[in-house]
Amino acid sequence: MTHLLIENLHASYGDKVILNNINLAVAQGEMIALLGPSGCGKTTLLNALCGFMPIQSGCISIGDRKISTLAAEKRNITMVFQSYALWPHMTVSQNIGYGLKVQKVERAEIETRVNELLSIVNLEGLQDEKVTALSGGQRQRVALARALAIRPDVLVLDEPLSNLDAKVRLNVRHEIKALQKKLGFTSLIVTHDQEEALVMADRIAVLNQGQIEQLGTPEEIYHQPKTAFVADFMGANNKLTFSSLASLQQQISLSSLTQSKMQPSFSNKSTPYQVFFRSEDVGLTTLSQDHPKLHNETDAIRILGDVQQSAFLGGSYQISVRCGKHTIQADHHENLLEGTPVTLCVPAGALHIF
Amino acid sequence: MRSSTSYNLWLIAPAALMVGLFFLYPLFFSLYSAITTDEGGLTLAHLEKAFELYSNDILFTIIIVLASVVLLAILSISIAALITLSPFRSIVSLLGFIYRIPLFIPFIVTAQMMRTFLAKNGLMNNAFIASGMLTPLETVSFLGWSGIIIVFVWKQLAFCTLLITGAMAALDESQIRAARNLGASRLRILFQIMLPQITPTIGVAMILSTVTIMSVLSVPLMIGTGTPTMIATDMAFRINSYGDYHVANALGLVSYLICAGLAWFYLRQSLKDKGAI
Repeated sequence: MTHLLIENLHASYGDKVILNNINLAVAQGEMIALLGPSGCGKTTLLNALCGFMPIQSGCISIGDRKISTLAAEKRNITMVFQSYALWPHMTVSQNIGYGLKVQKVERAEIETRVNELLSIVNLEGLQDEKVTALSGGQRQRVALARALAIRPDVLVLDEPLSNLDAKVRLNVRHEIKALQKKLGFTSLIVTHDQEEALVMADRIAVLNQGQIEQLGTPEEIYHQPKTAFVADFMGANNKLTFSSLASLQQQISLSSLTQSKMQPSFSNKSTPYQVFFRSEDVGLTTLSQDHPKLHNETDAIRILGDVQQSAFLGGSYQISVRCGKHTIQADHHENLLEGTPVTLCVPAGALHIF
Repeated sequence: MRSSTSYNLWLIAPAALMVGLFFLYPLFFSLYSAITTDEGGLTLAHLEKAFELYSNDILFTIIIVLASVVLLAILSISIAALITLSPFRSIVSLLGFIYRIPLFIPFIVTAQMMRTFLAKNGLMNNAFIASGMLTPLETVSFLGWSGIIIVFVWKQLAFCTLLITGAMAALDESQIRAARNLGASRLRILFQIMLPQITPTIGVAMILSTVTIMSVLSVPLMIGTGTPTMIATDMAFRINSYGDYHVANALGLVSYLICAGLAWFYLRQSLKDKGAI
């Protein structure tokens, strides 16, 4: 059942259109990730939702309540900010209980609720600390508890993990996800980190230039990108461009094309053909080696090239291979010397053709 | 290490010498002169004389300073809050421009301007009479203590508002947004979120204004009615009419103690807020 509904939303800064016809329905208890590069409008969408910036047209409603014209303080949507936005002159419990104090809740009830939230976010015993004495991860948990204290209709999180170091970020993102499942709050999270979106969200909306480019489950977005932008943004880091269908078919057989993830409009295209695939899907063999993928996937792209560069990723090496005018990235289990001749093959199922 | 230290001392020596010669020496000399005789012996006679002759003026000065500072605090915080929190951006940008104008007008010009504005037959009363709000018999002159306060507030308002608006603007915008989406009104945000964080700046603005108010001669001379008047006028009178530097310096010491008293109150308050005392 739809809880939050955004319909035909338009917003701009002066003449510059930032949000262009956004439509989004969020179910009760669902977590949606707004994913996109810097400047795509994802934070603006949160600001418009919270009432921090005016919208040009469109409608935002929560259940039966239309909130588009309400002031920010009347929407019952709370935000967790990238910078935490905690008030340094207040203690942890004063920060968390502030929203309840504004709502004129009884002091005893505020105390009970604050203690409950402190326990939920694992900050018991820190209620009297100044927030300036806390670590980044602890501060973000205080910010989360503060936002949850008033039981908002929708919780929005604006890149909540960006200021945290890598290890803490992994912990906090799992904590937020677990908390969301446990408490069942409806939330939108803004991120530019695709892994964060894949791990945390029930559905992902990929934004580009103020529009939702694709909305779907993490698996759909990852495996079936509908546009070149989504494929590129979701990590299909290899792109081959062909000026005509004939040149494409010289490289990829017709039978492969039918098995690849082509778009329906493919055969009527007039623009250049773009073929995307991930480095992890590329099989790489040196001339002296034999690779099973090369034999099993008879309908794969097969390209010859020379190693240009090799970078150690920890679990594997990322090899940059020069193939004519293209450079292709391939994951490989061992380091290869520059100039080594190699054969690359890609299974048809891994190709995204636009 | 030793040579590096002496090199650093030489680097700061010219600046230290300038401060010593042109600031510290005159200051300490005037304080010394306030409590010594011509022969160099310690005495409280100059201070006693200062209080005997000018205690009313000292009290008047303290009242003028406190009233001006309180009004300044209320008005500058209100304007700064309007500029920072108001949703009506175009009116706010106009206000943001207008409030700065007094910064560029000297005290003496302000005093002259206000003299023609606040007098019984001045511009303000004439405007009231022309609009039918007052008859000529009902008009009141604002020259005197109220005029002095009005001039000081008018002149210092821009400076204080500039400092306070800067401090408010320097606060993280998301702190204000966080309070708003928890349901807080703008007034509540001002008092509970913003003001507690910018108290030091407000204190600095008020102390600097106090020092300025204490030292301005033109305003009490041009707007005041003569008696009582402010300490600065009395000091000028003792020097120009009697060449009495001792009593003038004793009054200077009183001025200094009033400023120091306010500074002590402010420092004590800010340390208390930080939990140090």
